[in-house]
Amino acid sequence: MLAVGGTGLEVRQITKRYGALVAVRDLSLQVHPGEVFGFVGSNGAGKTTTMRIVLGTLASDGGEVLWDGAPIAFDVRRRIGYMPEERGLYPKMRVGEQLVYLAQLHGATATAASAAVERWLTRFDLKARIGDEVQKLSHGNQQRVQLAAALVFDPMMLVLDEPFAGLDPEAVDAMSEVLHECATAGIPVLFSSHQLDLVERICDRVGIIQRGHLVAAGTIDELRGHGPVQLWVDAPQAPHSWTSGLRGVQTIRRDGTRVLVQLDGGADDQAVLRAAIATGPVREFRRRVPSLLEVFREAMSENATAAAS
Amino acid sequence: MRPPRRPDLAALGGEALHTTYLIARREFMTRVRSRFFVIGTAVFMILLAGYIVLQALVIGRAVTTVKVGFTGDAQVLAQPLVNAMGQDKMFKLVTSTVPDVTSGRGQVQAGTLDALVSGSATAPDVIVKDDVDPTVAATLDGLVKEVALSRALAASGADAAAIENQVAAATIHLNLLDPNAAQRTQRQVVGIFVAALLYVALVIYGQFVAAGVVEEKANRIIEILLSTVRPRQLLLGKVIGIGLMGLLQMVLLGTVGLIAVTRTQVISVPSVGFDAVASGLLWFVLGFVFYALIYAAGGSLVSRQEDLAAVTTPITFLIVGTYLAFFWVVANPDNPVSVLLSVLPPFAPILMPARVATGDAQSWQVVVAVVLTLGGIAAMNTLAARIYTNSVLRVGSRVKFVQAWRGVD
Repeated sequence: MLAVGGTGLEVRQITKRYGALVAVRDLSLQVHPGEVFGFVGSNGAGKTTTMRIVLGTLASDGGEVLWDGAPIAFDVRRRIGYMPEERGLYPKMRVGEQLVYLAQLHGATATAASAAVERWLTRFDLKARIGDEVQKLSHGNQQRVQLAAALVFDPMMLVLDEPFAGLDPEAVDAMSEVLHECATAGIPVLFSSHQLDLVERICDRVGIIQRGHLVAAGTIDELRGHGPVQLWVDAPQAPHSWTSGLRGVQTIRRDGTRVLVQLDGGADDQAVLRAAIATGPVREFRRRVPSLLEVFREAMSENATAAAS
Repeated sequence: MRPPRRPDLAALGGEALHTTYLIARREFMTRVRSRFFVIGTAVFMILLAGYIVLQALVIGRAVTTVKVGFTGDAQVLAQPLVNAMGQDKMFKLVTSTVPDVTSGRGQVQAGTLDALVSGSATAPDVIVKDDVDPTVAATLDGLVKEVALSRALAASGADAAAIENQVAAATIHLNLLDPNAAQRTQRQVVGIFVAALLYVALVIYGQFVAAGVVEEKANRIIEILLSTVRPRQLLLGKVIGIGLMGLLQMVLLGTVGLIAVTRTQVISVPSVGFDAVASGLLWFVLGFVFYALIYAAGGSLVSRQEDLAAVTTPITFLIVGTYLAFFWVVANPDNPVSVLLSVLPPFAPILMPARVATGDAQSWQVVVAVVLTLGGIAAMNTLAARIYTNSVLRVGSRVKFVQAWRGVD
């Protein structure tokens, strides 16, 4: 089933201005085949604008969008499964007819479209509603139809804007399962979200966007391991100031007898351990890995400081 | 398990054409299956046929049936009367023989006969209830005089047959200075009818296009569509699909109208009706494409159905104004302004077919109007596609025309 053998999507230094406002500035990112790429950032950061430029519904003022190393062609673009943030379907059109129509617009033949529609509606437990008007479906089922609309033409890539917004936990699980299946099949998946816990759970790689600029990108581990080393040390019999003599080590927080220390670059964690053991028993000695939320906040504040200065 | 693609169409413009076809088909099918179309068309057809029949029965009195009974010597007048009245299509003469005056008088009284002719052939008694049709009376009077004359000639010994032939050969020679004048009023009525029908059709179907554009913006499916379809294809498919729906409705109504008109003989010259319908349909197509593009561009400027009126009203005004201008044009058919207006694109789709129906349009004017309107459509296609492309993805407040034209904020 692996069909995409190339390098996938590459966005290279795109810029988009709306008058004086720079919506996207020099933004670059890559989504490889088989990878789920999460795009996080606050509202108005430029996620939707970037996605629209990838899809070609919006023209950029600079930079380029590449597919397998070459400028993306209309033939590739029309086979991107897209789920806009503002969901949209014809409310009075029947579910099956509508999906077949959209699949055909994306280039599928009538027979292939019908087969794919059956397959996905069965998968989403909506087979019985194939002849119903979309507006007669519940909100959750409309969301499923919306996702099916992005899948029924066998997409070469998925671009999903806030696909998890407004979903119940069960639907969230179903959605992430589908995204992983697609990625496993070799399709690059790009999606945006506010829900960092979800992004952390689902994504292979993450890009953090702020004010139109990508401030951090990498695998979750890379991002989380990116900052200075922090250690939790629990030495119950140690005096209050046992860390003060250590070079390049700062105390960040105290929690009972536990201390969180941060090591400057070059400081030796083994020296910290030895100093701790010297005070008596050591119950805990553990590297602290920040959550994605912390990484996100830190990236935001760093960038804000950089922008201010 | 990848479904097969369409390799045959992938090259050239085939794919784009196929996409436009898919869009047009959806627009056509969803609308033709709608309640508006099915019930609306049926109601319109019934109303139109009913109106024409009513016109024929009540107002027009297309065919008058006159029943005349004959008795006694006067019976010789029956056949000549049938021959004489047979020329007139507005009359249907039914003659019968009545045994005697008393029973005939009873039939006139009862209404089964309109008139009873009895007595001698040269001075018959004509019994009617209250009034007799003047044409019948005059014809009968002429026949009686003819009978009297031929009897007098026969009595004088002359060759009655030869003289009658001579008399029959004597006739006036008609020289028509303005052969259309007789039909003119009728043609003017047809022209106004054509103009009214076209203006209503252009406004209704044009607003369908505008509403269709806004619908896709309002329910946000436009973003999905434009990720796979070029704006021009979407615009064109929509115009074609809705246009075909309108054309189907017009053809159905036109057919019913033509059948009703010819059956009831409301129009005595069927060719007027046929020309009017044929050119009306041609101009509906041209006018619809021209105005639908403008309506689509207008619709793309707003995001909600509630805001639609603000952009479509000026367009509708232009069409209604053109219709109203026809009343001046029809009164001044040879005025250069009339000719000029009827060939210019925004006015031609209503004025030209109406002038064809009235018989005022010369063929060179029709050709010029078609060429100019086709040019207008080409220009409008570029203009509307540009505005549509620039504004269709913008949601929120109304997009200003200048922004839509320049494509910037």
